[in-house]
Amino acid sequence: MIRRPIPRWLIILLGILGVVSLLAVYGGLSYRQSVINEKQKVIPGLQAFRDGVSRMTTAQGTEETPKPSMLVTDLRATYWRLFLGIGLGVVLSVVVGIAMGAYRWIAAPLAPIISFFAKIPPTAMLPIYFVLVGSDQTMFTTMVALGIFFTMAQSVYLAIVNDVKDEAIDKAYTLGASDPEIIYEVIWKQVLPPILDNIRLQIGPAMIFLLAAEMLVGAEGMGYRIRMESRVLNMSIVYIYLCIFGFTGLLGDWCLLWLRKKLCPWYDR
Amino acid sequence: MFHNNNEKIMMKRHWILVCLFGAAFVGCEPSNKSTPNSTGSGPAGVTSGKPATFTLAWSEYPSWSVFGVADELGLLNKDAGKLGELEKKWNVDIVLKGVDYDTCLQMYGSNTADAVCITNMDTLGPATDRASVAILPTSTSVGADACIAVGVNDLDGLKGKTTRGLERSVSQYAFERILIKKGLNPKDFPFSNMDPGAAASALQTGDTNVQSIMVWNPFVMQTLRDQPKSKKLFDSSEIPEEIIDMVVVGKDSLGKEGGKPFASCIIDTFYAVNQRMADPKTADKTLVAIGANFSSLGLEDMKQVVQQTRFYKSPEEAIKLLSSEEFRNKTMPAVADFCVEHKIVEKKPTIGFDSPDSQVNFDTSFLKAMTSGK
Repeated sequence: MIRRPIPRWLIILLGILGVVSLLAVYGGLSYRQSVINEKQKVIPGLQAFRDGVSRMTTAQGTEETPKPSMLVTDLRATYWRLFLGIGLGVVLSVVVGIAMGAYRWIAAPLAPIISFFAKIPPTAMLPIYFVLVGSDQTMFTTMVALGIFFTMAQSVYLAIVNDVKDEAIDKAYTLGASDPEIIYEVIWKQVLPPILDNIRLQIGPAMIFLLAAEMLVGAEGMGYRIRMESRVLNMSIVYIYLCIFGFTGLLGDWCLLWLRKKLCPWYDR
Repeated sequence: MFHNNNEKIMMKRHWILVCLFGAAFVGCEPSNKSTPNSTGSGPAGVTSGKPATFTLAWSEYPSWSVFGVADELGLLNKDAGKLGELEKKWNVDIVLKGVDYDTCLQMYGSNTADAVCITNMDTLGPATDRASVAILPTSTSVGADACIAVGVNDLDGLKGKTTRGLERSVSQYAFERILIKKGLNPKDFPFSNMDPGAAASALQTGDTNVQSIMVWNPFVMQTLRDQPKSKKLFDSSEIPEEIIDMVVVGKDSLGKEGGKPFASCIIDTFYAVNQRMADPKTADKTLVAIGANFSSLGLEDMKQVVQQTRFYKSPEEAIKLLSSEEFRNKTMPAVADFCVEHKIVEKKPTIGFDSPDSQVNFDTSFLKAMTSGK
């Protein structure tokens, strides 16, 4: 029967079974590759992973000029670029989206442009950014920010158009609210949950965008490292980096869900 | 939807799990099954019966695009199950995979390709895990890798300014080697990673962060032409015969049934196309065909390209390189040192010349067979 409830212990058991079978499949593939070539690094085994971890975490540089380990350097570079880019993109798109949702004369000129650019895959725009904004921190931040700006501004705008009813605004006016008060008390409070959901959805595209750029022009960062290490087939490092992406993605997801519960407890009701 | 109770019960069980396990082990059969009958007829070592299938991964580069051209000329057929002229001669089925250079390295390292077009430097990485046999040097860079700058007129001016180019590649190798050769310390000349295509476009658009780049052709030619302010500071003509483009076969693949005819067929194909380049009647046409397989360059550009990427046109020239003291005792050790210093390899592979036990073996036997076969 579709959607027949199953007991909680079975859910947990099946969850564990899923993870275990994934590991078993990996182990099987790794073993199979070792039969083809015993020194293979393509689907590394446990020992190779241990070596990979120690390579990633040993400090670089000399005694006089110590540098942090590979992992620290890359994490710092990539996540700084990501946070700055997403932060800027979110602020910009929320401001523009709300302005468009509040005033028809702002929406009229901007809506066609924004919906047009929202349809262009951001990775296809990469060469434009290389040419227009150089190749530094500014470029990474700009491209992440603009990469999520168009889709997000559009969804904030549409959320306001669809969710904030005219009656609510009329009522607020009747009660003597000013324009800024309506924007904050009526519009902002009502679209905050969809905004938080949207940020959650934009983390993925922002990462795709940033990684693609780092693979091409990065001198440090996760994308740079993945390209460099996969060139020389140090796949143990590549896989660990992929896992880090998985876990930080989950963490970001949880944080935003928690924030939504905290800020808008009424939303899930 | 369901006609009886039994089917309902079936659906309740978690067949998906069973399927998952099953699916993971489907396709575990090793590929490349060759037919094991061999009676000598035709060239030495050639098997009769059904030809064995081997894969050669190549990327767009003047002396490697030759294989793409060979497919167009009908000398080889890039598909599995179809044979070109020379494939019939050697009774071997060569599958050509034209992909990115990085992908070539990965395919070879993961045993998905039997042979690969690769530089002498990049061979060392995979060789520590997969013993490799270099069967054919195809060309050497004599100006095809260059350092180009805007607003910097000489090496004194370059000091302390960052040069952008692909890290851990021949670009960085050439950059450091030439500086050392000029009596300078590479530590005074920072080098930072950037894809050569992106670096070239950054220099051409006047990005102020990028003043100097170290790239290879076609980017060298394009940049010098499209950025009038650019100046070539030095190029790989200062280190001729150090950056070698070649074809490498996995020792495991070479040992398979039909592996040796496969190696010979690659060499035969390469020189067959070279002959067409030497013959005045077909020379221009062949160059244009190679250009079409190398960033869509035209005839005039290609004439310049083959000056800067000097082909080893005959087995004699190739043997001369591989037998030279300079290459054996200076170039390859220097390349190996560079690879260790830049962590391209953890440990140097053993490098040998006509010594089958080395992890990287420069084998001239196939080339020599080609000279006596004439």
